[in-house]
Amino acid sequence: MLFSSLLLGALHAMVPLTMTATGEILSERAGVVNIGLEGILLLSAFGAVVGAEAGGPLAGLVVGLGVGAILGLIHGVIAVYFRGDQIISGVGINILALGLVAIGIVWQWGVAGFHQVDRALRIPHLVTPLGSMSPMVIVTVLLAALTYYLIHHTNLGLQIQAVGENPAAADAAGVRVERVRLFGAVYAGALAGLAGAYLSIDWLATITRNLPAGRGFIALATVVFSRLNPFLAVVGGLIFGFFDGLGLLASTSREITQVVPYQFIQMLPYVVTLLVVTGVIGRARFPAASGQPYRRE
Amino acid sequence: MPGSSVPRTGAPGQRPGPPAGPVQSDTWLEMRGITKVYPDGTRALDKVDLAAAKGEIHGLLGENGAGKSTLMKILSGILPMTSGRILIGGREIALRNTNDALAHGIGMVHQHYSLVPTFTALDNILLGRGAPLSGPARSAARARIKRLMDDTGLYVPLDVPIEQLPIGTRQRAEILKTLDRNVSLLILDEPTAVLTPQETEQLFQVLRTLSRGGTTIILITHKLPEVLALTHRVTVLRHGRVVGTRPTAGATAQDLARMMVGAERLPAVKERRPQAIVEPVLRVAELTVLGDGGTPAVRNVTFEVSRGEIFAIAGVTGNGQTELIEALTGLRPAASGYAYLLGQPITGVNPRKLYEMGLAHIPEDRHRLGMVAQLSIMENSILGVHFQPRFRRAMPGTLHWGRVRKYARDVVRRFNVITPSLRTPMRSLSGGNQQKLVVGRELSKSPALVVAGQPTRGLDVAAAATIRDLLMDMRNEGRAVLLVSADLDEVLALADRIAVMYEGEIRAVLERGQFDRERIGLLMGGVGDGPAAG
Repeated sequence: MLFSSLLLGALHAMVPLTMTATGEILSERAGVVNIGLEGILLLSAFGAVVGAEAGGPLAGLVVGLGVGAILGLIHGVIAVYFRGDQIISGVGINILALGLVAIGIVWQWGVAGFHQVDRALRIPHLVTPLGSMSPMVIVTVLLAALTYYLIHHTNLGLQIQAVGENPAAADAAGVRVERVRLFGAVYAGALAGLAGAYLSIDWLATITRNLPAGRGFIALATVVFSRLNPFLAVVGGLIFGFFDGLGLLASTSREITQVVPYQFIQMLPYVVTLLVVTGVIGRARFPAASGQPYRRE
Repeated sequence: MPGSSVPRTGAPGQRPGPPAGPVQSDTWLEMRGITKVYPDGTRALDKVDLAAAKGEIHGLLGENGAGKSTLMKILSGILPMTSGRILIGGREIALRNTNDALAHGIGMVHQHYSLVPTFTALDNILLGRGAPLSGPARSAARARIKRLMDDTGLYVPLDVPIEQLPIGTRQRAEILKTLDRNVSLLILDEPTAVLTPQETEQLFQVLRTLSRGGTTIILITHKLPEVLALTHRVTVLRHGRVVGTRPTAGATAQDLARMMVGAERLPAVKERRPQAIVEPVLRVAELTVLGDGGTPAVRNVTFEVSRGEIFAIAGVTGNGQTELIEALTGLRPAASGYAYLLGQPITGVNPRKLYEMGLAHIPEDRHRLGMVAQLSIMENSILGVHFQPRFRRAMPGTLHWGRVRKYARDVVRRFNVITPSLRTPMRSLSGGNQQKLVVGRELSKSPALVVAGQPTRGLDVAAAATIRDLLMDMRNEGRAVLLVSADLDEVLALADRIAVMYEGEIRAVLERGQFDRERIGLLMGGVGDGPAAG
């Protein structure tokens, strides 16, 4: 019983991390790094609630994905076409999201900081032997597999890798470097958007001013852990998700919080992330031109 | 070889020399009146004409900065031209980008290969060709490339990441990639610069095969033996203009060298005062230095520089001069051999220690090594001497800005650096004034040895003259000067002795009085004396 609820907790916590990381893997393969994923999660989570309240859970998912894709597009245009600093652009998205969503919640529902999502507007769950499970768990694993195939078995994937490793060579071979990179940025945004929608209209069923609570950054850690392999992002998402789920479970259990203050339990996922990434980071090999704008001579 | 459109590589034992067989003399490619003016006003090419027939191997010869690469970048769609016309088979074509050029069958193999290092040769070749990474279409593409390898003799392991292959094999992959685009005009930019002699001979065999199959080849080079061994005709460029086009059959290395280096136009320099004392300051013995690729860039070089002497190293850039300077200034380890400054070993010694031993270094790449563009004149004027007690306050680690300012003002005044203020960032100065500050800072160290790399490159005439006079002053004061310059006129005007470097070796050392422009031109092109000791 405890085991199945822990596993289910880990699977549900894996979804936002792995899905966001999967998109970012493709984007970083193409040479665009987006540290604004946290902000994209938050804004799309907000958008998804608004969408769901207007047209049901499916509309919520579509709006979340759309908001993410638009933010990814903005970041991509700044990074690729204006050759702006990708870190600054990403930080900008994070700050923008914090402000917009805080105001948005007040503006939309007249309350400050917190809005519960109606049960009827949530994504319907599947009945499994483990218990009630979100279909997004399956979608996440499928997206990871699809992304792996895209990168390693298609012509577009070859171009993505080429513009990330050596954009000048790709350019000389007739690849449209800017377009491929922009595709990567939009793809990462769209997947983060879907993950954001999952947070608000599925898993956590609320919208708050800080709903992702650092999951966008843990997704970045998952990218490092995965060494840009989407399947390893599933593994990484499960590891980080396990401690995330454990933290959520333990901090609501009275027996545990009487012994250990819940603040310490909630630190777990972040501490584990730091430890794991510290162990992995030296061995990861990232594309040579990742994060660097390409300028033709 | 069924299905081959091109005969197999020539029979073994075939003599080097221009490919046998008739080459149609009708012009196929024509470049007319090509002019290129860069946005900063530099005229890189001035009404250049070039013509080549089908199957011709055409050499493009010239010194550094003659415009060879610029001309070919225009032909391969990388650079737009300012004016001129390009015709293929009598029809004018427009080249807006590399894809346009490829569509007309024009492909270029650059000195720095356009390969993705983590990709296999096959993926590199198929990149941008729309072939998928798996499935029957990939098998078909693989078969096509295998056939191309059989036809041309360009064998490359297709499934090994490029970064694990030797440089000659990478080049073959790059050529294959270009040929796979159905290229009928192949441009090669200094293709042998990084190859071993065996790899070079293999490459030449391939090029002869391609030529017999009807591919036109333009070979950019500064090596005279290559031109004579391989090409049908040669066009010589100098300062962005065509000096002439000759059939290679009737030409001699002397003719070509003369065309390449041109007539003397020596800059005026200060009076050279006789120096009585000969006393070696720098002694270099059997020094070998590895280049970035791990192969020797400087080979077993021996020479001495005496006090009161300007010892100049002439040669086309890329023949080991940079690596030699770096080894002597603490920036690159020596693989073997020795170098002594005033009797003390200097290889592998920290640059700061070298300065304390009496070395001043005017770096070749002043933007990267000579200055920090964002910092002010004042700050730049003490780079490298900033640790000296005279710039320090009593408190550890703090600078005495008053004294720094006084020092900077002194350098600016003595070396005539024109700047609005001492606080002006270095990047706002003109190239000439930047260099005057760098030179001034280095010469203010009262060095025993000055190592100057390309000290006047890119400078206006007046600034260049100032720098040359300062180097002559150093010599006349009895200091030793090691000058590395690709500008032959500068070398001839300044040097007491000239060493010519070619492929990492010093091919000859000439004393002032026996300077012979034509002989130096030949040596720079790899013709004449073997390794020499100075």
